[in-house]
Amino acid sequence: MANSLRLYLACIKNTLEAAMCLQNFPCQEVERHNKPEVELKTSPELLLNPVLICRNEAEKCLIETSINSLRISLKVKQADELENILTKKFLRFLSMRAEAFQVLRRKPVQGYDISFLITNYHCEEMQKQKLIDFIIQFMEDIEKEIRDLKESVNTRGRLVATEFLKQFITNDAIYTEKLNVRHHSSRFSASPSPSLSNFVLRRPGELLQIPAITQLQIENFYGLGNVI
Amino acid sequence: MAYLERASPTLKETLLKIYRAEKPIEVDQHFHEFGSIEYHIKYSVSDPNIVHVSTSTLLETQGAVTLKEISSYTYEVIKNIGVGVIDIVDPPRLGFQLTLGLNLDNIPRGKEAIKIITRISELQAIILSSQLKEMLRSLNFQDDSRSINNMPIRIVYHPSEPFYVFKQPEKITAVFPMNFKDNSDVVIATSFFQDMGKAPQCSWSPIPPLQLRGEPVQDLTTNSGFVSFDITSRHIEGKRLDKTVWNLLNFYACAKYHIKCSRGYIQRRMRKRMETLVKLLNNTSLEEEAAQNENGRCKYVKEFVKVPKGKLMMKQRCKEMTRRVKISKFRIKINGCARFRFNQRWISLPKFSSKPSDKSYTKLD
Repeated sequence: MANSLRLYLACIKNTLEAAMCLQNFPCQEVERHNKPEVELKTSPELLLNPVLICRNEAEKCLIETSINSLRISLKVKQADELENILTKKFLRFLSMRAEAFQVLRRKPVQGYDISFLITNYHCEEMQKQKLIDFIIQFMEDIEKEIRDLKESVNTRGRLVATEFLKQFITNDAIYTEKLNVRHHSSRFSASPSPSLSNFVLRRPGELLQIPAITQLQIENFYGLGNVI
Repeated sequence: MAYLERASPTLKETLLKIYRAEKPIEVDQHFHEFGSIEYHIKYSVSDPNIVHVSTSTLLETQGAVTLKEISSYTYEVIKNIGVGVIDIVDPPRLGFQLTLGLNLDNIPRGKEAIKIITRISELQAIILSSQLKEMLRSLNFQDDSRSINNMPIRIVYHPSEPFYVFKQPEKITAVFPMNFKDNSDVVIATSFFQDMGKAPQCSWSPIPPLQLRGEPVQDLTTNSGFVSFDITSRHIEGKRLDKTVWNLLNFYACAKYHIKCSRGYIQRRMRKRMETLVKLLNNTSLEEEAAQNENGRCKYVKEFVKVPKGKLMMKQRCKEMTRRVKISKFRIKINGCARFRFNQRWISLPKFSSKPSDKSYTKLD
C-alpha cells in the first residue's frame, strides 16, 4: 500500500514539475486586469489539457493548467463514516483559513475535497521546487493526520467505555486488579478479566499501538487535569 | 437529569458562603440546573440560624409528568446526612418537591462542615437515585412468571432524554435511545456505542428492542441507535446498587461529555497541524535567502548594499535643505535688525575655497 502511495505521489510530482511553467499574462477580455485563466476558462487557447491521476476509485488528483495559473484538486480517501466526517471537518478547517496558506482555494472544486490555486505571482515569490514539495508533503500529512485522528478518537472512545463499564462488571475484584496492573505498566501487557478479553483485545495488533494509559491521562481527557 | 458530579456546585458554593459569612447576609436565590432541576435558597437576617433549601425535579413516568412524592426511605437518607442539622419542612414550599431547613448552629466545625455541606449539595442526586433504586429493587423482586406482563417503564429525568427499564428472565434491561443534533456527533457517538456494545452486559443496536414495541414513535426515532445495559441481581446487592443507579443516571451526560471532549481534541489537533503546514509553506520563500546566507557569504551583504543608497539620499536631502536656506535668507526681514541686513555675511554659509577669485558675489539689499 505504501508502494502505491509512493508511485501516486511521484506521478503527481512529475506532472506538477511539467505543469508549473507559469508566466504573467494579462487578461484578454478586460484591459488592465490580470486574472488566473484556469479559473475563468474564457480563452481555450490559454488552457492546457487537464490531467487526472487516480490512485484508486476513491483517491484522485486533477491538475488543470493555464498560461498563468495552475489548479490542483485532491480527493482524499474516506473508508468509513468516521473518516468521512474527519476529512470533511479538517479540510474545511484548512479551507476557511486559506489566507494563511496563500495557495489554497477557499472552496474546493466540485467533486473534490480540497483545491490549490497557484499563480505566476506565487511562482515568483516562492521556489517552484519547494512549492511542489509542499503540495506532496501536504497530501502525505493529510492522510497521516486523518488516520491518526481516527485512531485517537477510537482509542479515546474505548478508554471511556472501559472506565464506564467497570461499574457493570460483576467480577469486580479480578477486573480492578487487572486494570491496576495495566495502569501502572508501560504497555497493556497484563491480560484483562476473561469477560472483557474480546472487548479490550479485539484487535491484537492494536495492543502494541495503544500508548501507556495512566489515571492522569484519563483525567486529562476529561479536562480535569492539564491539557494533553 | 443526573450529572457527572453528585454535588450541585452552585448550591454548595452558596451554602458555604452563608456558612462562612461573618455577618448574616440576606439570600433569596432561585436557580435551575440542566433544564429540569430547580433550587431555591432562602436565608434571612431575621432568622440567622436556619437556611431553607427547596428543590424539585421533573419526573415523568408512563407519560404523566408529575412531581413525584418522595418515599420515606429517601427522607431518612436525607436526614441521616447530618443528624440534627437537617429538618424536613412539611409542607414543602409551593412549587417544590422538598424543602429542608438547615440548622447552621448544629453543623460541626472544620472539615466536617464542608463534608456535610457537600452531602447536602448532593440532594438531587440522592432523590433521583433513590427513586430509581426503588424501581430496580421492585422489579428485581418480581416473580419471573409475571414477566410476560411486565411492560417497559419509561423514565424521563430530562426532557427529550427518556430511557426504558424492563424486566427479563434473570435480569433487568435499561435501554437508552440515543439522539444527537449534529451529524458529526452522530458519527462519533455511533462509533463509540458500537465499540461499547461489544462489551459484556452491554449491547448496541440500530433498531429498538422488541420489548419496546408500542412505545411512542418519537421516543423510538433515533439517529444513533439504542444502547442497552443488562443489570443482574448482583448489581443491585448492597453498595453496588448506588453505583449502578448512578451510572445509569449519568449515561447520557457521560456520552455527551465524551463527544464534546472528542470534538475539542479534534479541533486542537487540526489547529496544530495547520500551524505546521503554514510553517512549511513559509519556508518555501525564505529558504532561498537562508541557503545563500549559509553558503559562506557575508550575511550583511544586503545591508552594505543598501547603506550607500541611504547615504546618498541623506546627502541629497542635506543639499536640498541647504539650498532652501540659502534662498530663504534673502527674503527674511527682521524688524529692528535692518542694520544687520547690509552685512549679511554672518548668516551666509562659509565657502572654503583656495582661490580668491572663486568668491561669489553676494547681493546686498
